[in-house]
Order: sequence, then structure tokens, then C-alpha cells
Amino acid sequence: MCRLLCIVCSMALTLLLTGCSNSRQIESAAIIENVSVDRQDGRLVYTFYRLTSGDKPWGISVSAESFEEACKRASEEYIPNLSLSKLELLLISEDAAQAVMKTDLPYVATQPFFSPVAYLTLCDDRTMEEFEKTNRTQQLIEQQLILLKNHNPSVSIDYLSVFNHLAAGREEGFPVAFIYSEKELKVAEYRLYTKKLTKNN
Amino acid sequence: MPIETPFSSKRFLLALMLAACSVILLQNNSLSKNSSFLFELACMAAGLLICFLCFIPALMLRKMRGADILRLSTRSPAFIKLPVAVFYACYFVYTALYFLIPYTDMFHSKYYPGVSPCLITVVLLGCCVYAAVKGVNVVTRFGIFLFLFAMLTNILMFGGNLTALELTASSVSWQGNAGDFWQNTRYFLTPAFIAVVFACLNADIRNFRLRQPVCALFFTGLKYAAVLFFIRFAVGAYASRQEYPTFVLSRTAHFDRFAGVESFYLALATMSVFMIISLLLCCVTKAIDREKNLRTVILFTLILLAAYTVSAYLHSAKEILTNPNIFIIFTGIAALLPLSGLIMGRKSNVPTLVHSM
Repeated sequence: MCRLLCIVCSMALTLLLTGCSNSRQIESAAIIENVSVDRQDGRLVYTFYRLTSGDKPWGISVSAESFEEACKRASEEYIPNLSLSKLELLLISEDAAQAVMKTDLPYVATQPFFSPVAYLTLCDDRTMEEFEKTNRTQQLIEQQLILLKNHNPSVSIDYLSVFNHLAAGREEGFPVAFIYSEKELKVAEYRLYTKKLTKNN
Repeated sequence: MPIETPFSSKRFLLALMLAACSVILLQNNSLSKNSSFLFELACMAAGLLICFLCFIPALMLRKMRGADILRLSTRSPAFIKLPVAVFYACYFVYTALYFLIPYTDMFHSKYYPGVSPCLITVVLLGCCVYAAVKGVNVVTRFGIFLFLFAMLTNILMFGGNLTALELTASSVSWQGNAGDFWQNTRYFLTPAFIAVVFACLNADIRNFRLRQPVCALFFTGLKYAAVLFFIRFAVGAYASRQEYPTFVLSRTAHFDRFAGVESFYLALATMSVFMIISLLLCCVTKAIDREKNLRTVILFTLILLAAYTVSAYLHSAKEILTNPNIFIIFTGIAALLPLSGLIMGRKSNVPTLVHSM
């Protein structure tokens, strides 16, 4: 009898603890897959791209002083159920790189929900435009980053590596990835310094 | 008198080793940020050496009297029996909370912020009650499964970070002062609680060899060293910005495009804490009343739950319950208490226990 009671209780608990009572449809969860940062009219513009199955990206642009402020504004004004835990790529335009590296990276490093191995790369304006047009650009960028890393393991292509290099504060700087668009997407190394940015290739 | 069921000391020490290893999983920036890796290793060696010294009183008692402190105290007069039972019961409740609070905090903040920490505690304690009622023998059997799972998790955690390792000239530097030494060593003294569990349960184990606790602490040290090494050289400065660096280590583990083994890490932490609390509840049962097992376990589980709820709403209570200094002092007294058993034994001339198979 006691054993039967235990089994019934366990089954009831299993049903209760599935978390379904507090569930959200994946379409309404607003899982952010990519974020791009650009500078427009002197202000930083953060675009949050939601995870979608379609070919066309679904992005919301927020103008803010920092990523922290952008996340706050985005969740308050545009995307109530903003989830950044599945963020895969942070794409930064050349103009915005300085500000992002100084303020946003230290912020990201303190937040528990960001994945430390998410990709981080700089890009030119044309790549940014391509990124807004089709989801395929993201896949191409990731392929290029992996190729670059295989070719030159010293290049930093994720948050963790970039943050650690910045924290080390070495004078000689360190290489990060730079995506540029000609006829097709290409990748180059970019030497990043704590105070200034210098293009290598 | 209840029938004793002696069990393998290897299995028991394996369970204690896993309990000791879990301490590093719940590490929340407890180590000094100014110390170097080699300095941390030295602190770890010092801490684990003291942990081994904590085993000695219980080993002496076992060798000379063939019993543990709780068994001796139950055969002593009430004025000895009562304070010993109360002290150990308080110690085990405190220790259970010392691990339960950081675990639920971690689970709540890192994995599932949507659920109430009290609910996590209720579910975990419910499982612990079942295990504690079944007894130490069953809990140590679970340790075999946990050992294999821990092996798998560690392989994934360390193997997935191998490519991110970055050894520099500072890897072999020596940096740290007396304050850092105390802070780090105090943290590495935390596994000493396994010596107290051993002191309270060692009369029930057979085939005991002195090398077993040595091996348990040696492998605990190896695990700590590996975790510290990977945190230092694979995660780097990023780890110091985050709570729970070992959690970050599990997140950064990656194999090609597959990244993050935090689910394995959380499962391991959950099962380890479950085993620690179950073992502690077994010890409480033995300290208080060995014949009414279920009632005692439920009573102390309710006490644990009440204390946890108080700590969740009262920050000062939480600070007391997770204070490492109080924990170390408490553990030191609990580990040294078996020495008094030697005197008690001589005076009362307690007969040596004969195990029945």
C-alpha cells in the first residue's frame, strides 16, 4: 500500500514538475539568435534578431548608449519575453567597435545568461546590410569564422577569448575576425588594441 | 537492539570522496583573486592535509575501541549521551544547510529562475528522506552510479576545454600573501566534513584500510587541481567576473559546434548535494534515535526546511548558515570529539563491537 502511494505521488510530481504550467510558445518566447551593433547619426543602434525558421530575419532596432540599456529598452518597449541565453553571434560594425569593446563586453561577462562561447566579430557596412536581408548571412559568417579559426588558432572569435585578451591589456594587441563583403563574404584578421583599433589586412 | 549491516569501506569512502569533490562544484568566488595557480595548489595541499588530520581521532577510536563516537556515546550515561547527540545533530543540520543554500541559489540563479527556491528544496529534501530512511548502505550504492556519472561529466568538462587552454609565462608564477593563504586554505578545509561523517559511521564498515581515506582525499585534490587549472587557463579572467566559475567551465566546454555541458554539471551538482544531505540525515538518525528511523528523518528534514525558509527571508540568518568560519570551527570540534571517546571508553570499558554479517 505504502509503495503504491509512493508510486502515485512520484507520478503526480512528475506531471507537476514538467514546467508546462509556466510554458510559453516558442514563437512568443522571442529567443534572440543574433545581435548587431551599428552607429547611426552618432548613436549606437542595437538590432535584436529573433530565432525564426524563415529566410527573412526578424529584427528590432533599439537606439541606446550601451548594450545593457538596449536590452532593458528592448524588453520594456518591444519584446516583453526577451531571451538572450541562445545568442550565437554579436556582429559589430567598425564604427561601433570601440564603444562595444569598452563598455558592452565587461557587461556581458557579468551576465549569467550569455553564452561565453558565442561568436563575436567585426564587419563592414555592406555585410551589415546583407545581414539585415537574409538569415543565410549568419550561416556564412559562422562558416568563415570557423575557417579562420582553423587557419589561425590565435584569432579570437568568441566573447570569452576577446574578453580575456582585453582584460590582459597587452600592448601588442590581439587579432579578432573581420567580415567584409565584396562579391561574397570574406574574413580577415583585425588587430584590436585596448585604446585604438588598427586594421591588419 | 537493531541488526547492524556492515558494508564495504571502499564504497563508503567512494561516497565520501564524491561528497568532498562536490565542494568545488558549488564554489562561488571563494578563492582569493590575487593568488596564482601554484599558490592555490599549495593552499589546497595544506587544506587537504588538515582534512586528513581530521580523520585521525576517528581512526584511533576505531582501532582502539572498535566503535565510533556515536555508538560509544549511546552506551554512556545520559549526561554524556545527550550533549554529544545534541552537538552532532546541530552539526549535521548546519552542514546540510551549508550545502543546501548555495546549491539552491545556484540552481535558481543559473538554471531555472522561474521556480521558487523553496520548491527546489522541498523536492530535493523529499528524495533525501527516502534515501536516508533506506540507510547509508543504499546511499553508498548510489555513489557507484554517481562516480560513473561524475567521470563522464568531468571528461566532457575538461575535454571540451582542452582546445581553449592558453598557458602563458604567468602559469608558473607564485603570487599570494598570508591573507590569501588563509582565505584559500579555509575554503579547501570544507571537505573536512567527510571526516566527521566517517567518525560517526565508521563502526558499520568492514575491510577498512588506512589508504582508503588517503586515496579519497588524494583524488579529491586531483579533481580540485584539474578544475582550478581549467578555470585559470581555459576560462581565464572571464571566470572571475561570474558567480560559480565551475558552472562557466561547463558552459565553455565545446566539441566542434556542440557547446555547453551545463546540464551535466547541474545534474552532477544536484546528485552530489542529494548524497551529502542523505548521508548527513543518516548520521543525524544515528546520533538521535536509531530505532525510529523514519520519524527522526522526517523531523530533521522539517527542521532543515524551516531553517532554509528562514534563511530565504532573513539575510542575516543566511549569512550565519553559510559562514565558512563557523563551519570550520564546528567541523574542527566535531572531528576532534572522538578523542574524548578514548577516555570515555577506558572509563566505561565499552566492549568492542562485533559485526554480524
